[in-house]
Amino acid sequence: MSHPSILVVDDDSSIRRIVAEILLMEEYEVVTAPNGAEALLAVEHERPALVLLDMRMPVLDGWGFVQGLKERDIDVPILVMTAAQDTARWAAEVGAAGHLAKPFEMSELLSAVERLCQAG
Amino acid sequence: MSAFQLLQLVSQLLFVLVAVAVTLQTIRRPLKASLDTALLFAVVALLVAVGWIHQLDGVKAGRWENAVTGSLLMAIPYMLVRLVDDFTTMRRAIPGAAAVGLAASIVSLFVFPPPYSGILALLLVFYFAGFTTYVAVAFVRASRGASGVTRRRMNAVAGGSLFLGLAILLAGIALATPGAAKTEGIIISLLTLLSGLFFFLGFAPPVWLRRAWQEPEVRGFLARAASLPRMPDLREIVHELERGAAGSLGVANAAIGLWDAEAGLLRYNAGHLLRESRADQMIGGHAFIAQEPVFSDNTERDDPAHADLYRKTGARAIMAAPITSDGKRLGILAVYAAHAPIFADDDLLLLSLLANQAAVILESRILIDEAARVKALEETTRLKDDFLSAAAHDLKTPLTTIVAQAQLLERRARRNPGEPANLEGIESLVTESQRLKRLVLELLDVARVEQGKLVSYREPLDLIELAREVCERHSTPLHRQVLDAPGRIVGNYDGARIVQLIDNLLENAVKYSPEGGEIRVRIRQDGASASLTVADPGIGIPTADLAHLFDRFHRGSNVDDRQFAGMGLGLFICRGIVEQHGGSIWATSAGIGQGSTFHVVLPAAEPISVTPRPHPISLAVEQAG
Repeated sequence: MSHPSILVVDDDSSIRRIVAEILLMEEYEVVTAPNGAEALLAVEHERPALVLLDMRMPVLDGWGFVQGLKERDIDVPILVMTAAQDTARWAAEVGAAGHLAKPFEMSELLSAVERLCQAG
Repeated sequence: MSAFQLLQLVSQLLFVLVAVAVTLQTIRRPLKASLDTALLFAVVALLVAVGWIHQLDGVKAGRWENAVTGSLLMAIPYMLVRLVDDFTTMRRAIPGAAAVGLAASIVSLFVFPPPYSGILALLLVFYFAGFTTYVAVAFVRASRGASGVTRRRMNAVAGGSLFLGLAILLAGIALATPGAAKTEGIIISLLTLLSGLFFFLGFAPPVWLRRAWQEPEVRGFLARAASLPRMPDLREIVHELERGAAGSLGVANAAIGLWDAEAGLLRYNAGHLLRESRADQMIGGHAFIAQEPVFSDNTERDDPAHADLYRKTGARAIMAAPITSDGKRLGILAVYAAHAPIFADDDLLLLSLLANQAAVILESRILIDEAARVKALEETTRLKDDFLSAAAHDLKTPLTTIVAQAQLLERRARRNPGEPANLEGIESLVTESQRLKRLVLELLDVARVEQGKLVSYREPLDLIELAREVCERHSTPLHRQVLDAPGRIVGNYDGARIVQLIDNLLENAVKYSPEGGEIRVRIRQDGASASLTVADPGIGIPTADLAHLFDRFHRGSNVDDRQFAGMGLGLFICRGIVEQHGGSIWATSAGIGQGSTFHVVLPAAEPISVTPRPHPISLAVEQAG
């Protein structure tokens, strides 16, 4: 697992892009999805080591995505990443491994990702 | 003693007792109506007493004595007519005619000795029966126009007149056919007994009977009372309370004056002659100031300053009671009638009871309103919280990119100092910081809208010129802007804000319209106002949203949050700009998918007319004179 694959799910394209760029620089493999539905397809194909998950998204939101994972019996650590005040509560609700409140520092993102990838 | 004699005795005793009771009542409360009632029964009691005296001494009545008792008998119809006058309205000629009839009867009884000639007897019976019938009809009519206890009283009086008339008729027949005098005598006694009883119940009902007669209306009112506070309109509640009070007291009119502490006025519902009165004015005001029920049986005498008003409203007698709940003065309840005898002293107690009931109802209504206000406040707070968290979310998203992007650029530059600048990353920084700037400015504008400080410096500007500038900036091959505006329309505008307004409307039109859709901007002047409309062929607005479109943080229910970015502040700010210019803004749409049109009306300077106006001529005439 020298190059863990990470799935970035966010409806905001600039956030997807910048998070991906940061992770790529640290030599992670990155897949992105703009909503929960596309994220489920990506999980089935890529089997990522970690999912960075925004909660409020069109088509299928974060809660729907986690439900979809359970239905497919897929177990993958999740890092909830939102701009909402309820980030911690939502993370607990979906049984996430960690959470990150936007706006986050690049270092916070990287250390959280590193920790969760090692744990996984 | 035979049954007939017993019946006669009972009926005579009753008349005497009633006469005593009514006289006592009159002494206690010397109203004209009580006096008339007392006189009526006194006459009858006198007749009875004369009869007893004759039974005791066995002397046959002499001629003069017969004339006196006959005159007393003849006074009964006249007395009844006076009572009609007390309780209801009638033609002024009637009491006069009755008085003339009575006088003629008395004179003829004293002048002509019995046995009376056929013509005289006929005239006497005609006078007696005629006026008694008139009285019966008048009271039936009065009962038709009345309700509740008054109706029942009038019915009783009408019944009394009817029985009396029948008794006289039978007596007349008995005189003409001296055969079966005994049976007729019994029937006549029975009829007089009944008439006496009915008159008594009608004219001077005892307290327990009044209460029983009022009970159905009071009961009905109390039954409705529980549901009253939840009626949507306070005026309806007041109206229902008035109806209940009028019905319970058997009068046609009741009025509730609600206390407006700020203005120091008692305010009345529409439909009353009076819209408001000062607390120290009118009889209702006395009740309010004194905080106790007040009864005036002659309003013109008790409050001469408002005699005209009382006459116009037909309020010769008024009862008023304060509506007060736990020491909190809410207003007054007044009932009024054109005839004082409609009321009894005891009614004041009932009115107080009804006023207390009204106080409870109005107080709970106030509490319900208070609860609604608190709920609305909570809703506002919730909206504010929603707004804050949404605003925070929308601010944090571009900030996330900016922070992360800047840190990434920095790390890269440190790691590989020779690497060429990452243009894409810098572009993203610029875009996101502009997005952030826009949001911050919008939020600041929202704060200014709320403070009413959105529009600051105003100067005479051409609205069309401002609009043209914005349209040219927005026009793209994909969304053509068509400006339809003639000449110049000058007004006192904050130029930057008007540009922001049109900018915002055009941006929305572009955002919610399909590519290739034409956006039409039309500006016209109409006297001292300018109208500007922006019509787009876009996704339209559901009817339910039209009313809330300009509320803070409202977004159309058919707008996909993610497809169309925005915080829903644009139109709120637009409304602020327009309203702070003294104009108005609204939207119309034929429905979803049918496009929308935004209408703005702003004040404008009247166009300078080239044709001379007529008034300089009249000025010239004035100068000549």
